[in-house]
Amino acid sequence: MFGGLHSPRALPEAGALVAVARAFTPRVEARAPTPVLLDLTGLGRLYATPHELGRALIAAAAARQVDAQAALAFTREAALVIARACPGLTVVPAGGEAAALAPLPLALMDLEPEQQELFARWGLRTIGELASLPPAALAARLGLAAARLVHRARGEDAGVLVATPLPERFETTLELDWPVSGLEPLAFLLSRLLEPLTGALAARGAKAASLAYELGLADATIHARTLRPAMPSGDARTWRTLVLLDLEARRPKDEIVRITLRAEPAPARAAQFSLLDPALPSPEKLAETLARLDAWTAAGRSGSPRLVDTHRPGAFAVASFAPGPLPRGRRDASPRGPRVALRAYRPPRLAQVIVRAGVPGFVSAPGVRGTVTAAAGPWRASGDWWDRAYSREEWDVALVPGGAFRVFLDRLRGQWFVEGELD
Amino acid sequence: MLENLLRARKLQADEPPLRVEDYRQRALATGVPELDTLLAGGFPRGELSEIHGPASSGRTGVLLALLARTTAAGALAALVDPLDRLDPASAAAAGVDLERLLWLRGPRVSGEEPQARTLAEATKAVATLVGAGLFDVVALDLAGAGREPQRLPFATWQRLERLVEHTKSGLVLLAESHVACSPGGRVLALEPAGLRFSGPPGPACLLQSLAARARAGGHRLREAELTLAAV
Repeated sequence: MFGGLHSPRALPEAGALVAVARAFTPRVEARAPTPVLLDLTGLGRLYATPHELGRALIAAAAARQVDAQAALAFTREAALVIARACPGLTVVPAGGEAAALAPLPLALMDLEPEQQELFARWGLRTIGELASLPPAALAARLGLAAARLVHRARGEDAGVLVATPLPERFETTLELDWPVSGLEPLAFLLSRLLEPLTGALAARGAKAASLAYELGLADATIHARTLRPAMPSGDARTWRTLVLLDLEARRPKDEIVRITLRAEPAPARAAQFSLLDPALPSPEKLAETLARLDAWTAAGRSGSPRLVDTHRPGAFAVASFAPGPLPRGRRDASPRGPRVALRAYRPPRLAQVIVRAGVPGFVSAPGVRGTVTAAAGPWRASGDWWDRAYSREEWDVALVPGGAFRVFLDRLRGQWFVEGELD
Repeated sequence: MLENLLRARKLQADEPPLRVEDYRQRALATGVPELDTLLAGGFPRGELSEIHGPASSGRTGVLLALLARTTAAGALAALVDPLDRLDPASAAAAGVDLERLLWLRGPRVSGEEPQARTLAEATKAVATLVGAGLFDVVALDLAGAGREPQRLPFATWQRLERLVEHTKSGLVLLAESHVACSPGGRVLALEPAGLRFSGPPGPACLLQSLAARARAGGHRLREAELTLAAV
């Protein structure tokens, strides 16, 4: 026998109805937060009648502040549809599914919008009216899916119950008999915890996208950190190294009395390698290297530069460094030849510029000073008036005693700046 | 069990087994024919090389050409930039695949010369990157740092030379004047040879190119003219 549980009102929490169902059976199929389908096979030994079982289901839901309506039937389709349609408890006797479904509105069957529109045009309003159509004739007009609909409308099942898996937690805790202070003994303990944890992840075809560690300290405080490398890793040794490197940079204030590790699972990476391109580094090795550069990475000063979609001069972003496989066609890209590059001064250096006949004639700024021998410009640019407006007049100038620089006049502030050196 | 077996036989997918080629035989070319001829193929792997020259001599343009060539081939490159001078737009215009470039930016320095501590941190980061063996090119940009690089202990460069030995990485220094180079490395000295504009000063005038003279190993017999196009 199958049971359908549905709450017409908002649930106190998303998994409340599933939790009620799991208290009765592990074979639960959750269709979003509600309704929920239960396989009640075998519960007849605990409950004398289906009515008693149904009432127990509703009472268990009420205990969790869920206003539920339940339906018990011998087919899944009937249990689900009737649970959504009828308040309280409904028990459908064996063979009575079609009759129980017949007066209910067709909308309860979760039809596609096109099917709903078509059946409305045909004048079909109830499930019973759809059930009365000949499946073969309907399949000839609308395809096999329509014939399956007729069977569903008659309360007949197709397929099997797909049980929703239990949400898994990859967490492990170790209470220490004696406080630990150094990193060396901790390394040994971490290996002991990480190996089963990564093993459990691997058994489910997953890796850890992040690892949160909480160290309970002797002074009753908690030292908690979350490590999130650029790519998921399932290697215990790598995670141990990352945790130790992190602890080396941020030492706990006191001795450690408890270790808790919590991994966030992610599907194992599937990558197609190329025979022609250089091998990409393993994500584990890359994560280790970046962790060793903690002084740079922690301050957000490392990563991969990215251009941003704006005309604002000097705008860029820094993304985390996670190189992927080389895109097709890039391998044969011909070299472009050397280009003049800007060596940017950040922030631009405030400058004194003497303008002669509308052209910069002399530039003086920290580290940059000289008479202009040649100048190209002006290039005017402005934008972002709705946010941080900029308006500038840009010149490329060659100076005596040497060097070429990009200078600009900030037209909003009326000040000159040296943006960088052309090299 | 299967993963352990694959790892033991070095067949794990993370590091494919078809990479037995000796990378050290192949120099790191810049993709600029004049320079590659001058450098006998490019900057050697496993060595500390150097590009030096005064302001506007095309040092950064040459380094970006090397990074572009390396990343376009699918390899990874790292740039340690203690003075935070890289302009990502210039790098992209030079053809650098930015996704394959790890950029370590130094702290903002208000004065002209960086603190000695910043450079010491930068050399430490270079040591980590070279030791990792993940990057074909590791570049340290010291141009604009004045005399500070020469004040670093000589042992710093010896240590880096030792670290880079027998790796597939080529370590390249960018500086204003000679700082360090390993015996097998290349020194590329650049001198500015003038700027070319599209016409007389005026609203339509454009910077067209930057000319430079390149010498390998400081040898006047091995010299080449170089032209860097303006973006």
